Amino acid sequence: MNTIRNYLDNMFLGLPQTEDVKRAKKELLAMMEDKYNELKSSGKTENEAIGIVISEFGNLDELGDTLGIKQVVGNKTDVQLVSYEEAKNYIEDSKATAPKTALGVLLCIISPITLLLLIGLRELNLVNVKEDLLIAAGLVVLICLVATGVSYFIRFSSKLEKYDNLKVNLFELDYETEQMVRKIQKQEEQTYKSAVSISVVCYILSALPIIITPLISEVEGFSVISLVVTLIIVALSTYNIINKSGSNEACNVLLQEGDYSVKIKSNKTFRTVSKVYWCVIVAVYLGYSFITNNWAMSWIIWPVAGVLFGAIKAITDGRS
Amino acid sequence: MISSDVIRGYNDTIILYLLLNEPSYGYEISKKIRELTDEKYVMKETTLYSAFKRMETNGYIESFSGSETNGKTRTYYKITEAGKKYYTEKCEEWEITREVIEKFIVKENYHEYN
Repeated sequence: MNTIRNYLDNMFLGLPQTEDVKRAKKELLAMMEDKYNELKSSGKTENEAIGIVISEFGNLDELGDTLGIKQVVGNKTDVQLVSYEEAKNYIEDSKATAPKTALGVLLCIISPITLLLLIGLRELNLVNVKEDLLIAAGLVVLICLVATGVSYFIRFSSKLEKYDNLKVNLFELDYETEQMVRKIQKQEEQTYKSAVSISVVCYILSALPIIITPLISEVEGFSVISLVVTLIIVALSTYNIINKSGSNEACNVLLQEGDYSVKIKSNKTFRTVSKVYWCVIVAVYLGYSFITNNWAMSWIIWPVAGVLFGAIKAITDGRS
Repeated sequence: MISSDVIRGYNDTIILYLLLNEPSYGYEISKKIRELTDEKYVMKETTLYSAFKRMETNGYIESFSGSETNGKTRTYYKITEAGKKYYTEKCEEWEITREVIEKFIVKENYHEYN
């Protein structure tokens, strides 16, 4: 029966998903299914049954007139079909890359901890070295960690580069492939969801060291060290989420769900607007901060821009 | 097998005939056509569906979803009054068509005319 579903999927590939087309596909499938079942129960083999059903299917051109899609039936070649292998490879590559990317992020987040730790210990008089030397040593570690992290991003994101078109372009999956992706998505869903919830709890708890330390002791050194604890918690939580998100992300891309839905992809206005929008916001942030040197305040632009972005998205959605 | 060009104008008539007595669904109709014609005419799925769609638009049939005893939901079609009228017209048209064409069809004794 999968062969028949795949056949029908291929016949309908690239047709606009109007109600009429969806209904036609459903009805045709029902008729083919009935015929297939009857042939099977009359003693035909799987291959014979499939052969007869497909040979008696007819021609989709015939439907063009009745469905008002004649034009489209004639030249429906611009939609790409993602094969079973390609989908499977993408999920596997994405899953394999996730821990490496997660490690890169972890290294970047924890990069300042040596610096903070050394400063903290010096404040507590546990280390007796010149401050300049400590800062230099801390910065060296920081730069090394960031460099390693970034090298991970570059190396492993390039492995997924060949799949980038899936995030932007519209495509279709045949029945079998879609079932496979849905199955994987379902299997991984629980792991991903629990990873996210554990990490979110940790993010919230990560604020505790910074809040509690000043209440216990007023020594400057402790608060610096508490920041180290916070960073480690944040780093581990982030690692956890990214590590588990690999196949989930790939499944969303393949099923064109969430951020990769057909609606968002087809909304070219929104894509252009969002690119321009974020460039402008970054420019404003940097420009304002450098000119006024008011870095302490200027970061407020980020939450404001984030909320405003939601409004812009709603407006472009409404128009399209 | 019959050339489908010849029969095309009467696909609707065939389907309407099968709906005269009771509502039916896609596969059942296609099966009945095959059986009644001793497998001389097999209507393709796409032909059948576009006939349904066209006749529904013209108001000759109506569709509704119903389920069988085994619980499978299907789209059933039933004939309307307009459909019955159209069917009668097509039957009359066929009578004339047949009379006309038969004038030009050589029956037995083919060689006598040569």
